[in-house]
Amino acid sequence: MGADAVTPGSVVRVAVLIGAVVVLQGTLGLELRIAGAHPEVGWVLPICAGLVAGPEAGAVVGFVTGLATDLLVPTPFGLSALVACLLGFAAGRLATTLSDPGPAVVPLAAAAGSAVAAMLYAVLGAVLGQDQMLRVDLGAVVGVVGVTNAVVALPANRALRWALGRAAPRRRRSAAPGGRW
Amino acid sequence: MVLVLVSLTIVTVDQTSQTHHLTAGAKSVADDVLSPLRSAVDDVLHPVGDLFAGAVHYGALQTENQKLQAEIGQLRQRQDEQPFDEEQLRELLALQNLPFVGDVPTVGAQTTAVDVSNFDADVTIDKGRDDGVAYGMPVVGAGGLVGQVVEADHRSSIVQLIVDGQSKIGVTLGVPAAASPTAVAQGQGQRSPLLAVFVAGSAGLRKGRLVYTDGLEGAAFPGGIPVGRVASWRTVAGGTQLNVSVTPAANLGQLRYLEVLQWEPTP
Repeated sequence: MGADAVTPGSVVRVAVLIGAVVVLQGTLGLELRIAGAHPEVGWVLPICAGLVAGPEAGAVVGFVTGLATDLLVPTPFGLSALVACLLGFAAGRLATTLSDPGPAVVPLAAAAGSAVAAMLYAVLGAVLGQDQMLRVDLGAVVGVVGVTNAVVALPANRALRWALGRAAPRRRRSAAPGGRW
Repeated sequence: MVLVLVSLTIVTVDQTSQTHHLTAGAKSVADDVLSPLRSAVDDVLHPVGDLFAGAVHYGALQTENQKLQAEIGQLRQRQDEQPFDEEQLRELLALQNLPFVGDVPTVGAQTTAVDVSNFDADVTIDKGRDDGVAYGMPVVGAGGLVGQVVEADHRSSIVQLIVDGQSKIGVTLGVPAAASPTAVAQGQGQRSPLLAVFVAGSAGLRKGRLVYTDGLEGAAFPGGIPVGRVASWRTVAGGTQLNVSVTPAANLGQLRYLEVLQWEPTP
């Protein structure tokens, strides 16, 4: 996480938030099924962390969220952590490169990032010998995950700001290095 | 970069099984924690989901009901009109009861989650090691073989469905006998039939014929469990062998209640 954000309180709050999202995914998330696929809200946390606090924070939040998610799925252990870590880092890089981020950036980044993450997850899984991961209806998975994460992105972003102890900006402004949205 | 390397190390080490028991233990603990929550959410949401599904699909359910009633009527008529031969009778019984279970003790289980990952075909059941469920045990229900336990935690287990891309089952096309062709049926994903590959010859092959587990020595399943029905086939490998498409015998869309066979393969 960004050096100015790391306090014991913020670490605990982020851990609680990650735990809540993982439990939500493992319970309610599995009950929702659209076109044979269910939402994967875990991807949204590293994206928001990257946008709010930069690449390092995104990578750390992604790694921990992914590792917690890996505990609940039968796919190779560590795969979610790897993909979420890269995702958080990429979102953080995006935050530092965009000069004039609009209000739609968070849901758009959540949708696009989650879709890319789902595809990368399937491809890496296939590389690791789980070739069935490419035989699923990838279009449905990518669509459902992208749309649902776009919907939950703003509340997730707000929750992450609270967890990281970052106040929401009063008005839109240019992104400072490290991202401050 | 460090975290990426750590992730890659975890994936690699876990794949090579040196520390797999550690991750399996951690998964088991996590699942034990989550299982009661999952059951509670399921208990709350299932009736609501059924209500909406019933309302939305009322017409389809009515049509399906009528279709099933018609099928029952046809079967009764056939039963009255002509005697079934032995195989037909066996097939019918196989789909109505679970005669193939025989003397194998079973553990009744309820499904608590379907497809915990979007990339696997599996169900989570509410019985685990504490109830006598162990890794590798076959799971049956809804008319035939459903899958195999791939993860047994204390109070819950994950069952890999037969249609999962990692699933491979030794089968005989027709009643297990010396003359029945054998093959390996591979899962092709949730919405696809199984594929029995490299079947030698088409003798006795016909559409709708039941496919059973072969139960050969060292097999992962006991013999004689209905796996599916022959749907179609095509010639491969220079015209000498066939790839046979097999529709699952079990209704994998209705997996609320299952039976775990307390049967383990002989090494």
